[in-house]
Amino acid sequence: MSNFEPKLVCFSCRFGWGFLGNEAELSSQIKNWIPIICSGKLDTAHIVDAFKHGADGVLVLGCPEGECHYQDGNYEAKKRIYLLHKVLASYGIEPDRVRIEMSLDPEGKSIPKLVKTMSDTIKQLGPVKKA
Amino acid sequence: MVTKPKVAIAWLGSCGGCDEAVVDLNEAILDVTNAVDVIFWPVALDFKYKHIEAVNDGDIVLSIINGHVRNSEQEEVAKLLRQKSKLVLAFGACACFGGTPGMANFRTKEDIFNWVYRDSPTVVNPKGNYPQVKTVVEGKELTLPEFYEQVFALNQVIDVDYYLPGCPPPPNLIANAVTAVLEGKLPPKGSTLAPHKALCDSCKRNKTKPNKIAIKDIKRIHEIEASPDTCFLAQGVLCMGIGTRDGCGAVCIETNIPCRGCFGPVEGVADAGAKFIPALASMLDVQSDSEMKEAADSIDDLAGYLYRFSLPSSMLQKKRT
Repeated sequence: MSNFEPKLVCFSCRFGWGFLGNEAELSSQIKNWIPIICSGKLDTAHIVDAFKHGADGVLVLGCPEGECHYQDGNYEAKKRIYLLHKVLASYGIEPDRVRIEMSLDPEGKSIPKLVKTMSDTIKQLGPVKKA
Repeated sequence: MVTKPKVAIAWLGSCGGCDEAVVDLNEAILDVTNAVDVIFWPVALDFKYKHIEAVNDGDIVLSIINGHVRNSEQEEVAKLLRQKSKLVLAFGACACFGGTPGMANFRTKEDIFNWVYRDSPTVVNPKGNYPQVKTVVEGKELTLPEFYEQVFALNQVIDVDYYLPGCPPPPNLIANAVTAVLEGKLPPKGSTLAPHKALCDSCKRNKTKPNKIAIKDIKRIHEIEASPDTCFLAQGVLCMGIGTRDGCGAVCIETNIPCRGCFGPVEGVADAGAKFIPALASMLDVQSDSEMKEAADSIDDLAGYLYRFSLPSSMLQKKRT
């Protein structure tokens, strides 16, 4: 599967990621980038929906622990993703295909790199198996 | 002679509980049979498929179909009834969402066959025989319906007009549904003939639900002596009532058993399990990653718990292999 190019969706919190950067420029570098207001806004149904529509992986960028604008939205996201990993495993979807990074990058320059790293991990896994 | 409206009641992949629920209308069933002509009801009356085939298309006013679709016979009956009926009502959790048997979608057909016909400790099958769609015995061909790769909800096989969930649906909602059809007072096509809100909305225990549910240690119902009046979530027992459609009459709650979700998700929710995860996560009162993992790992078979009745109609439908 050497030509396999994973389809990745990246959700990032606007409070922690890329809010000082040039959004249009970042968008051109990051395919399927969806900035949201707080990673805690991300419903697990959105992640499942991404897989339904053919995603091979989902990267969630939340704020560092203890630094959520809404108190603990980022930690809620972390808990959700931990629970979701178990459910995805039952569907035959490897937990490594969903990852949350809790950090900060106002310029957003590290986002393309993080997407690339995750993409490389998913290349090793190959495409999501067929239903 | 005035012709009464024709009604068919069919069971596909079903345990019979839904048919029992129709019988549970008790004397009200006499009013129903006075008002309609039941032309097909395999569990109660000796009609054959050929009797349905002989009916003109659209002559059946209402087909009440319970059970999921897992084999070619079930699909054939569903399609035949659709062709002959003006209205189709998906009756019960299996027809509406795939139901409990739908959890088989977490296994492959191969896994199921190997367990049932080879590996199960009670199986003696030295010749390694597996059911075949066609077998020739003494020059004669015997046939069986084809067992599909997955369980389907009814609307994944035919067009469905209305939905009445539940395992099984309660008599009052059945009577309402049949009356609505007979009187022509039906909501828009595609509606579920049950309330839109969550079970918590009508649950008597709701007044004991704390503002912030904080569960440190998840308990299963048999592990505690549950109070008969207190919200299950306040007692650390997972109850699906917060995300499950109301209308069942809280019969499980009344017998001190938490809701398992047989009425399916509330109006507008496509995937009961995925939507329940954020609610569950927010209830876990944990202060560290290790506590989070301990609490989450204490739930046996989380996916089975979340999709107990709705796996085939969930967004991902089945296991990838």
